[in-house]
Amino acid sequence: MAGQGNLYKEKTAILKHRQWRGLKDTWYDYTQWLKLWYMLAAWLLKHPIQNVKALFRYRWMFTYLTVPSFFDRMMASMQGAALRAARNNMNTLVIEVTQMLTDLFTADLHLHPNSEKAKEAGKKIIVLDELVPILLTKGFKGYKVILQQEFAAYLPSLINQHSPVHYIEQSESYGLPADVCPLPSLEAGIAIEDDYPILAAPCFISCNMPCDGSIMTSALQDRRHGLKSHALNIPLRWKRENVQEYAVAEYMDCIRFIEKQTGAVYDWDALKEAVEIYNQQTRLKMEKWEMNMTDISPHTGATAWLYRIFEYQAACGSKIALKNDEKVNAILRRQVAQNKFPKTVRHRAILWNTPANMYANLNAWLLDCWGIDSVAEMIDFQGSEIIDTSSKESMLAGIAKMAQGATMRVHTKGGYHVILDDLWVKYEQFNADMIIMFDQISCKGVGAISGIFEEEARRRGVHFVWLPQDLMDPTTISRRSMRDHINRYMDTVMKEKPLDPTLVDFDDSESW
Amino acid sequence: MRDLKHIHFYEELLEEANNSLVRKAKDEGNVAVGYTCYYIPEVLLNVDRAFSVRLRAPRTGSLDISQYYMSSFICGYSRALFERAFEGGYNFLDYWCASETCQQMNRVVENVDELKLIKNDKFAHGIIDAPLKVSEHGVKHYVTQITHEFLEPLQERFGIDISDTAIRAAVKEHNEMCAIFEEISVLRKESNPRITPREMHILSLVSYACPTAKILPYLKETLEDLRTREADEKNKWRARLVVVGSELDDYAFSEIMEACRAYVVTDRYCFGTIPGRQQIPLTDTEPALEQVCRFYLDTNMCPRFMSQDKVMQRHEELLRYAKEFKADGIVYEQAKFCDFWGYEKLIGTAYLKDKSDIPVMSVDREYVISGSGQLMTRVQAFVESISLKKRQKERGVR
Repeated sequence: MAGQGNLYKEKTAILKHRQWRGLKDTWYDYTQWLKLWYMLAAWLLKHPIQNVKALFRYRWMFTYLTVPSFFDRMMASMQGAALRAARNNMNTLVIEVTQMLTDLFTADLHLHPNSEKAKEAGKKIIVLDELVPILLTKGFKGYKVILQQEFAAYLPSLINQHSPVHYIEQSESYGLPADVCPLPSLEAGIAIEDDYPILAAPCFISCNMPCDGSIMTSALQDRRHGLKSHALNIPLRWKRENVQEYAVAEYMDCIRFIEKQTGAVYDWDALKEAVEIYNQQTRLKMEKWEMNMTDISPHTGATAWLYRIFEYQAACGSKIALKNDEKVNAILRRQVAQNKFPKTVRHRAILWNTPANMYANLNAWLLDCWGIDSVAEMIDFQGSEIIDTSSKESMLAGIAKMAQGATMRVHTKGGYHVILDDLWVKYEQFNADMIIMFDQISCKGVGAISGIFEEEARRRGVHFVWLPQDLMDPTTISRRSMRDHINRYMDTVMKEKPLDPTLVDFDDSESW
Repeated sequence: MRDLKHIHFYEELLEEANNSLVRKAKDEGNVAVGYTCYYIPEVLLNVDRAFSVRLRAPRTGSLDISQYYMSSFICGYSRALFERAFEGGYNFLDYWCASETCQQMNRVVENVDELKLIKNDKFAHGIIDAPLKVSEHGVKHYVTQITHEFLEPLQERFGIDISDTAIRAAVKEHNEMCAIFEEISVLRKESNPRITPREMHILSLVSYACPTAKILPYLKETLEDLRTREADEKNKWRARLVVVGSELDDYAFSEIMEACRAYVVTDRYCFGTIPGRQQIPLTDTEPALEQVCRFYLDTNMCPRFMSQDKVMQRHEELLRYAKEFKADGIVYEQAKFCDFWGYEKLIGTAYLKDKSDIPVMSVDREYVISGSGQLMTRVQAFVESISLKKRQKERGVR
């Protein structure tokens, strides 16, 4: 599929026509694309007035109109099992997200001011900080859970690179320094603009994850939404046994707080049922990792990690997600059994540190332009422990441990060894020959140990590429300059020619 | 005013981390314990033969090496500590107590460990996991962490007595020092105070940077001197300010305030007197360790505490200081690249503007402050605006 760059329109990088991937894959992709439109249209038409109101009320909501284009970018030139797995993952995500958006908008007092119905709906919603895994709340049967920042901040930042810019500017004009991480800055900006849905929810659970900036933005958001809040303190030195007692005590405290606010009684049987589903999800994820350790890594790229973090945080214990996992693993197993991979792979790379949301489809470009397959990514690795469901205590201990290993912080907290040592372990396990290290310039926790990474990589003699990026802010470092960084390394250090020269340099500054 | 007794000696002590009193304590066979943060209960590092040194990096110049190891987006304090450790400036340390609270400072000690920068065979470090809210199980957790990471290693490695009796003795000595600062703080309420912001900043700094037992006799004499000292006849101060913010161990900041004729009535920043120089009350009904830990959590004003009760405590306390010390304004100072104070100054400024009419100014600054023309311009403008408002108020202009 060389010449992919010729398909892009100047600046927007929108495809002039759909990609040719061979008859079978092109047809599959096309029908899945139609299916996506069908799912989105069905969702829109289910509550047309409410959804259109949301489009005009929330700036971030417009971003969701570009989802089909986002999927195309994420799955650019994918073929075979990878394409099928990606489409299934992303469609599952659409099913879950549209349902959550419906729950959210139905109870939103911005969209339904003074509506008793909306207030009543809100009373049945527990609001969590987006990095609190919802598994814990499965014991509150009959309650829906909304991850506060997920729909307004996190997902839009992946779908449209420009989506966070306005809100980040709001935070900065309000007085927030420009050097803080764009993620909490974006979340703060949305709160300042009053662009989070307002719910009559009984409570909000904030937390200290993943980083220092998140702690502070939670405090700011807490003041804005005015809900009764509880700060859940997740230990930072999470590898230590002597912090686990505190972690469990915090969870028990949190359950008691929610019980008090909702009047509900925690249902341990319901929790057990959800945990068992989650355990099965974990086993299937571990199998995917094992398959990626083979010569034919069938499940790589942004669709894999995005689905994983969504599943870990928002769809843990979900039967729909589990069904998808079973289906996807079956597809992947077949490909591994055939021992065939439809793309040219020159390098097996580990992508370490937090990836750039504003360039989620970087993996596709790496593979198509230079033949670099992202066989393992740090953001994808969370949750590799099975939770013991034999007693309440063991479940709580397991959930407490699971939360300590939440997205991003599973590596960035617990001491520098956690992120440093695991890199070399993964490098060996996945039989990699290159490391692409995201230099997320505003991430102080990782930035502060950059010298140690550098020296260790030099000592081991591995190809170690620093890739500067600013997570959600394309105005600091653009996609083009990220590509340029890789291009220069491949050209000057690796002395290689691109697989597809039309992808080496192009302008996608106006792309979503 | 005449020079404050020992002030020049104090200035000398602040010229390096391994100052003459630290050296003297070491020569006597005592154990030097470095730390950086209020999350580490200072008093517990002063049990038995151990003595605490709150780490500074005076006379910091180039930060090139730390920039390579820690990137350029890390706060100047953290980078300066790393740089100083790299240069061998902390080789006198026997133990380093750290906490994974501020990620940047935590990374300093981790770098020091990985790169083996402290050339002292006995050197070791401990890092605690500290809670970010106050609860009974949080206190228990905090006690466990401090015991495992600080006290037990001090006992095992250096034979330090960490018994309840030893802790109570350390608290007693600590309280003696705090009583001095409490008395001096009251002097700052005077309309024409007899101690200057610069002097106060220096006193506070030496109390953190030197062994308590060694600095205490000097501080007592300084207090005695202050009791009889008289302020200049003419009151030169144009504005009385509360200063609040992040780590600030360069007294050039207070010199700039003085140059702008701004009087710092109270100092709630890391290395300031609030919190840190208030006496710790102990009862006989509970182990001293638990009481000390609870006290430190209750009085901790770090923005890292995210529960709303602590957030409100921070804001309300500021208003209380302003009222008690008759302040005309509040200054938020943030070390550049400090995430916590970057947010806190934003949230705090908005809160104070909503709840009071006291003028608030926010500034960010580098670690090394001396010669900061930008800071001086900001402070001058703030003082000018306060003076103008005062004059307008006197004339009845709305």
